[in-house]
Amino acid sequence: MTNVPTNAGSAEVTALDSQARGPLLLLLGSGLVWLVVSGFLALITSIQLHSPQFMADCSWFTFGRTQALRDTAFIYGWGGNAGLGIALWILGRLGGYPLRGLNWSVVGTLFWNLGIAAGMAGIASGDMTGFSFLQLPRYVLPLLVVAYAAIAMSGVLAWSGRRTDGMYASQWYAVAALFLFPWLLCAAQAVLLWWPVRGTVQAVAASWYGQAVWTLWLAPVALAAAYYIVPKVVGRVLPSYESAPLGFWTLIFVGSWTGGRHLIGGPVPAWIPTMAVVSASLLIFHYLVLILNFRVAFQTGGTAIRFIRFGLIAYMLAGLAELLTSFRGVALHTQFTFFSTAIEQLGLYGGVSMMFFGAIYYLVPRLTGNAWASAGLVSGHRVLMVVGIVLSIVTLAYAGIVQGAGLLDDKTTFATIFGQIRMTLVVNSAAQLILVTGNVLLLVNLVRSACPFTNERPATSIFRQPSKLEAHAS
Amino acid sequence: MSTSPQSDPRVDQAAVTDESLLAVHEKLLGKQPDEKAHYRLMPLSLLFIFSGLIFFGGTYLGRFSGHFSPQVYNEYAQPPKSGVAAAPVDPLAQGKAIYANVCAACHQVTGLGMAPVFPPLAGSEWVTGSEERLIRIVLHGLQGPIKVKGVDYMGAMPAAGPGSGFNLNADKVAAVLTYVRKEFGNGAAPISAQKVAEIAAKEGSRGPWTAADLEKLP
Repeated sequence: MTNVPTNAGSAEVTALDSQARGPLLLLLGSGLVWLVVSGFLALITSIQLHSPQFMADCSWFTFGRTQALRDTAFIYGWGGNAGLGIALWILGRLGGYPLRGLNWSVVGTLFWNLGIAAGMAGIASGDMTGFSFLQLPRYVLPLLVVAYAAIAMSGVLAWSGRRTDGMYASQWYAVAALFLFPWLLCAAQAVLLWWPVRGTVQAVAASWYGQAVWTLWLAPVALAAAYYIVPKVVGRVLPSYESAPLGFWTLIFVGSWTGGRHLIGGPVPAWIPTMAVVSASLLIFHYLVLILNFRVAFQTGGTAIRFIRFGLIAYMLAGLAELLTSFRGVALHTQFTFFSTAIEQLGLYGGVSMMFFGAIYYLVPRLTGNAWASAGLVSGHRVLMVVGIVLSIVTLAYAGIVQGAGLLDDKTTFATIFGQIRMTLVVNSAAQLILVTGNVLLLVNLVRSACPFTNERPATSIFRQPSKLEAHAS
Repeated sequence: MSTSPQSDPRVDQAAVTDESLLAVHEKLLGKQPDEKAHYRLMPLSLLFIFSGLIFFGGTYLGRFSGHFSPQVYNEYAQPPKSGVAAAPVDPLAQGKAIYANVCAACHQVTGLGMAPVFPPLAGSEWVTGSEERLIRIVLHGLQGPIKVKGVDYMGAMPAAGPGSGFNLNADKVAAVLTYVRKEFGNGAAPISAQKVAEIAAKEGSRGPWTAADLEKLP
């Protein structure tokens, strides 16, 4: 294929990107800072699992609170900031016009981060709620909703004022994520924190929110990035793209219903966990469509594609593991063990975060107009991520299986189980250390790449001119 | 194989433009007129898989949803049929459960009690004797010395009737008394819930009885 420029408007880096540079780098940068914060907190939680005396005298960092802080920094700090940055950039690119309302987005980003920081101080000082992934005290939540709306607005404007009538898969997923999250957060805080529903309905609502945050918010953003970057880099039409709408609607319709699997054996009507099993099974179709569409991702290399490939595989494995453990017979062995933590890690770190990393590696050079500062940091980050994620998932899954077997045997005491998995948990702490080191490398690389003083503009464009996609290339 | 070799890990080259990416994929969805009529139907295999998943899901829901009844907690159970009265509860089974929860801590599972504080129920003349006295003890509690089977006991039994800490209703008091009168080799007649309700209404709420008070009753 030749690299002949087709027309001036389709140049690879345009005014579209240079205008969005500041606001989007602010989003991505604060996302990475939160990721590093969350990584250190994850390290503390992990150490506390095998050495409970670690920081046990400091009430701000006791296990329950550090765990809540880790989740909050990860979901809202990293997932929220980076996800919004990626979604905005993709919607702007595909919309064909420069992003509008970016001033609002900058103000929104500042308040979003302020809200998270205030909320985390609240959690640490004892104001956390009891709902997983919604531990933020209720007094910061309205601020977060407003700040989110201010950031997301420019994405919505880019989508509604797009140049072409049709919509591409990335736009469906990104717009769905932008609109679904405020609904999730408002509905959840209303029924759980402001006007709490009574009894078991709370558990049902909390499990719905905990699941939907990643199936309806973070995962769609990650998939939007994959749908955009894979064909862009590979240069081929996505095979079986006709089925992509079905895959999308399957996720949107049944994605949040799988939350009931957390309630197996709980005091809820039988149909709620049953519905979760059925929804998790239907999602197989969503994964199947992804496999068909992203076959082409295995035909080429490159930093972004490697991350996204890993992320897609992890995302599908997490879905399969969710399906298997949602059956009551299997849940008997895995529920309330480290195995469910392993699945969460697989989905959120292996799946969503790896796809986010891929997107960041792809889009930051286009925002700064220059390549990443250091190739060594790029490959160092990739190796550390892959090793850290695989190691932490394998250790947690193994610890979960041992723990599940021990808990079912009435002759095994808790102390025995703890003795059996202690070494595994130490290895998991090492994995957390690897992960946080890797993310520090990425943050350093981002700072060096984005800093206007250290980074000289190249004389000639480092980007090759892309060509036109051939309709029957596949 | 690859159309654009990614030689530099620091920057990912794009192979195609955004415009053509949008246009080509848009065409595949069949939203724009395609003169050559290159529409492709959903592949048969995908259709089969999708139908299979829906079929599995429907069957699974039908089997394990308890007909979406909010009262069914066990996935193997069927919802209660309306119009049919609830099955009568066996007072002995219910009484045994209540005994284990409320009484066994002091009177022991064996009903032998523990001298010198907790008197036995097995073979006790207070248990097998007057209904009037026995019901009052459970409803309102008992305080002070009491002689059982010729032995003196000194303790305090809390009330278990309505409004007390245990808050057993008339049915439950009757069930547990029927149980203790039958068990431990006692073999006395059962106690009816009407009788318990009658005494509870007559006495209202009051403090614990003493053995001397009770002995004035029939």
